[in-house]
Amino acid sequence: MSYESPIRDLLVTGGKSYTDITTDITRPLENKPSKAWWIGFGISSLVLAVWIFATTYTMLVGLGAWGLNKTVGWAFDITNFVFWVGIGHAGTLISAVLLLFRQKWRMSINRSAEAMTIFAVICAASFIVSHMGRPWVAYWPIPLPNAFGSLWVNFNSPLVWDVFAISTYFSVSLVFWYVGLIPDIATVRDRAVTKARKFWYGFFAMGWTGSTRTWHRYEMISLILAGISTPLVLSVHSIVSMDFATSLVPGWHTTIFPPYFVAGAIFSGFGMVLTLLVIGREVLNQKDYITVEHLDAMCRVVMVTGTMVGIAYITEFFVAAYSGVEYEQYAFINRATGPYWWAYWTMMSCNLIAPQVFWFRWARTTPWFIFILSIIVNIGMWFERFVIIVTSLHRDFLPSSWSMYTPTIVEVSILIGSFGLFFFFYFLFCRYLPTINMAELKSIVLTPHAKELQKKYTDMLEKGPVKQGEKVEKGEMTHGH
Amino acid sequence: MDTNSKKLILGIYDDPDHTLDATSKLMHTGFKVFDVYSPFAIHGLDRVMGVKRSKLSLAAFMFAMTGICCALTLMIYASYFDWQINVGGKPFLHIPTYIPITFELGILFTAFGMVSCFFVVNRMFWGKNADIMDIRVTDDRFVVAVEVIEGKTNVEELNKILIANGAVEVRERMKEE
Repeated sequence: MSYESPIRDLLVTGGKSYTDITTDITRPLENKPSKAWWIGFGISSLVLAVWIFATTYTMLVGLGAWGLNKTVGWAFDITNFVFWVGIGHAGTLISAVLLLFRQKWRMSINRSAEAMTIFAVICAASFIVSHMGRPWVAYWPIPLPNAFGSLWVNFNSPLVWDVFAISTYFSVSLVFWYVGLIPDIATVRDRAVTKARKFWYGFFAMGWTGSTRTWHRYEMISLILAGISTPLVLSVHSIVSMDFATSLVPGWHTTIFPPYFVAGAIFSGFGMVLTLLVIGREVLNQKDYITVEHLDAMCRVVMVTGTMVGIAYITEFFVAAYSGVEYEQYAFINRATGPYWWAYWTMMSCNLIAPQVFWFRWARTTPWFIFILSIIVNIGMWFERFVIIVTSLHRDFLPSSWSMYTPTIVEVSILIGSFGLFFFFYFLFCRYLPTINMAELKSIVLTPHAKELQKKYTDMLEKGPVKQGEKVEKGEMTHGH
Repeated sequence: MDTNSKKLILGIYDDPDHTLDATSKLMHTGFKVFDVYSPFAIHGLDRVMGVKRSKLSLAAFMFAMTGICCALTLMIYASYFDWQINVGGKPFLHIPTYIPITFELGILFTAFGMVSCFFVVNRMFWGKNADIMDIRVTDDRFVVAVEVIEGKTNVEELNKILIANGAVEVRERMKEE
């Protein structure tokens, strides 16, 4: 249907027909799970058990189980929270921002990236609950008329904004994801051979028929959802950054935080998308759908956003020097050369220096290399949050209250365990839902008619130049409308 | 025969271009195209069929406004009129700090309101039994459904148009209202 430039490579390779797409994408959910799936799911469940154990232990014992002290009152918990929220951002960026920019390569990756968003926000929310110390009163930041302490919450506080931002982000992402899934769920419903599958996919397909009137409205709400998700995703990480930026702590009190956090979030999110998809395209046999060109495009985003956060790091130093504020200056010198210098330089080398290899096409098109780089990006972005939070807090205005922070085994277990939580959901997603948006992909492959013409054209090219007196069909090389 | 049921003739296609051509031809020759069913959105088909632009965007705007009003009302009422709390001597009524929550609730109301309206106008709900024209329509087939009005529709010509535009199959079906 859509016009394809003859110069550009096709987004889906292998000459796939509509039915090929359907059978390829539904294969993992219509057959018994592979050994690889069971191994992955098994490991995730074990790691999830670690998470359950460590969070339960924290709730029973209290925050004394963590390495926090009077000076460093926020450390691993908020580092992990910001890390996971950031991971989530790529999903919305891919599905919403790239939709607005009409980037069709998004269609092969938006479903799994959005799933990743939802699971990452669940992980992030779990840290909010566990760091409260008394999670059974987790509903206190919600503005309810009450009889405990102050009557209402303080609407001037970024922490209250965050409650609204994260819950809106989670629920809107879920709605966006589900709306995108409906036509594909209907596809699975219509292919179902077991009673259970027919019932459950039929239940969630909501009676989808593929009517043009429905598609017309569907396209409209998709566009509006993308339009509202774009400022939403920018606002979420801006608000997360204001949890820090509106305080007076040197190293936090900076106006550069909102854009810098958003760039960092997209950077880390794409890092995670690459980690998952480089493996996923191999295991699920989707190399024709998630091609090397897709990886190339994502690597470019990683490089650009990585450089943006790198510039932000350097800007912070400049502003500290230029401001003439001693505390601010010390905070940054302490970051780079103080007791946590190793964390700072890990961050710098992973986030600013490492992604520069993506200037080379080889680096952007070699899956195993991309995989290693994506892990480096994830590590770097985790350390970024650790550096911002811990190194700013541990030496504040009063040298008498300076201290060090070391995480306990419980905190480390919660961090590792949260990956179990994330992958537990992700493996279930790969097993029960189509990991690629089939309905969208079908709209970008060549139509059967166009395919015939293309074959004719390539045959003609192979045959060589037209000989004199040979009959040539005219006006055949057009397709689409 | 139930009086509420319609007789449809289905032209089944395997190519979106052919589907669009056939629909356009049928619309021009005055046949009543009941609906066209496809595995993905065919751009321009809604215009060919004369589908009116959906008012969902207006609904979305109204929901956004509702969300914004609700958020501002709640915050102004709670922090100024109902119970003033002195936090570090900050003003009790401070609109700039209300912007983030107002924005978030505007988005939240828009998304949920608009999507609910979408389900209502399409009569979609969880557990609904789909009345599918052809089981392959969510896979690789495109169905042009034309309504047959007894005594008025020239079925022979209709079949001819459907086949001439590349239909791989033509058949009849009843549709309950």
